[in-house]
Amino acid sequence: MPDSPLTGIIATNAGATGSIANRPPTWRRLLPPTLFQSGTGGDTSGASWLVLLLFLGPALLVFATMTAYPMVRTVYDSFYTIDDPDKPQFIGLANYAQLVTDATFWRAVANTLIWSVAAPLLDVGIGLLLALCLYAKVPFTRFLRVAWFTPVLLSYVVVAIVWLWIYNYDWGIVNLGLRAVGLGFLASAWLGNPHIALASLIFIDVWKWAGFNMVVCLAALHSLPSEVLEAAELDNCGWGAKLRFVIVPLLRPTLLNLYILAFVAKMKVFDLVWIMTQGGPLWSTETVSTYVYKRAFAWNTFDLGYPATIASVWFAVVILTVLLLNRILRARDRVEF
Amino acid sequence: MRPFDLSRTLSRGGIMAILVAYTVFATFPFLWVGTMSLRTTTEIAYNHYAWPDPFHWAKFRTAWIDSAFSTYFANSATVVIGSVAVITLVGAAAAHCLARYRFPGNRLIYFILFSSIILPPQIVLIAIYQTLVEYNLYDTLWGLGLVYVSLQLPLTIYLLEGFFARIPQDLFDAAKVDGYGDFEIFFRLVLPVGMPAIATTVILNFILLWNEFLFAIVLISDDELRTLPVGIQQFMGDHFQDIGMIATGVMISVIPVIVVYAFFSEKLIQGMTAGALK
Repeated sequence: MPDSPLTGIIATNAGATGSIANRPPTWRRLLPPTLFQSGTGGDTSGASWLVLLLFLGPALLVFATMTAYPMVRTVYDSFYTIDDPDKPQFIGLANYAQLVTDATFWRAVANTLIWSVAAPLLDVGIGLLLALCLYAKVPFTRFLRVAWFTPVLLSYVVVAIVWLWIYNYDWGIVNLGLRAVGLGFLASAWLGNPHIALASLIFIDVWKWAGFNMVVCLAALHSLPSEVLEAAELDNCGWGAKLRFVIVPLLRPTLLNLYILAFVAKMKVFDLVWIMTQGGPLWSTETVSTYVYKRAFAWNTFDLGYPATIASVWFAVVILTVLLLNRILRARDRVEF
Repeated sequence: MRPFDLSRTLSRGGIMAILVAYTVFATFPFLWVGTMSLRTTTEIAYNHYAWPDPFHWAKFRTAWIDSAFSTYFANSATVVIGSVAVITLVGAAAAHCLARYRFPGNRLIYFILFSSIILPPQIVLIAIYQTLVEYNLYDTLWGLGLVYVSLQLPLTIYLLEGFFARIPQDLFDAAKVDGYGDFEIFFRLVLPVGMPAIATTVILNFILLWNEFLFAIVLISDDELRTLPVGIQQFMGDHFQDIGMIATGVMISVIPVIVVYAFFSEKLIQGMTAGALK
């Protein structure tokens, strides 16, 4: 998702909580209780294992060979130097030691985190505002919804190429526009200046995804009980207050969900950066994904062990972040409701 | 007159202004490429923002035949259609199994598949590359297709499981009374009844894989086997100045997506946002 439409992480934890009398042992309580159920399906007759295997087997086989095995192998690789694929040399934790002092890696981590924190805020915020505009019963709602969603469908390659032109120093529309209104001194090499290149890329990312968040927010707005909004209307509640005290609190679960989804998606960001700046200038747009790719496939020093180390560390970071976000946000929900 | 009404009028006007401005902002880049795809590079260099005059439709023919875009297009179509077919069948079978049958480990399998949706692809990228090289699947469309199946399978199962689980049990009981076996139930009941959800995942997977870039660039090195996103990127690298022709290539890659979107916009929007909405 690439940035893809991921699924609500929060949903998994929403399990039934048993009564205190028959609580499971401690280690089980650390995991969502639903994990130990044998399914919610209505077919309790107990189908033969052969049937289950035929239905589920192919999917599990694909998962085991193309997802689970590669994950394990990446972690395994991280303890080796693999310059010759036939003769990996075991080097213990040396790759990890090197990673700690690798300034480019830390730069990539910082850039990716800035991206993951800032872009979702803008995505969700702009998406919500756009959704509110459409919710205010304007004409052509259907058309606008479809038009605003278009950037979501364009591939990053297409988006990157078009925005390379939009940002073009001499004839890109951004600089032309600035010069036309007499702000020519603001015209910049949007991708060539290390201080603003990252922000320029994040801007494109927000442009691409705001429509997606708009659609989700709009659906959530339509599912709100209309009485609440009407009551706010009767109380002569202004738009700002209505937004702050009624709409945002009611939409909280949706907004949090969107934020987490976007956060995770941005931690993978690759295509846009690779096509537009390749991580430059001066590593100012390097992300973890582009750095892994560079070290594995685009540098002259061919070694698959070190990039595998970066990938393993990043994998751990992603998992921990998701768990942490889920924990923090859900804990707050529990206190408030 | 209370100030409330005035502010209401103002906010109405403000909203309309935002709507128009954002619509231009969201659609301008695409429309701009559309105009450039029908103009020659010389014309574009003269004025980057002019309406095509005349319309150079022949550029599409040139891009299609003289450049390798027909090859890229065929490769993309082969890989994407093939993997979407496999994803749909395998995913629907697994989703049906998880939604309908009770067996120990059901929810555990569901949870594991579901969690893998959030995996960053770079965690498997290097090992998949190694594995495909070892099994002589590197630089083949088969290998890329296999990876595509594994990429989209968890999300597909997740979306379909949610839908299949809501099919009333009565239907299944009735089918059993009629003597349907497990597989007849799947092919003659679940697939037809679940068709709306299946169609959604088909369209969704088609778009996402049609646009896929990272694995396509890592796992394919032969120019004859490149898919459209990588093909365009390479074309741009080689003909950096030829803006007109790049724009034509971009349009060729976007047209299938736009066609699908034109016919199924509601379904597509619904599919892409289904996960976020729960």
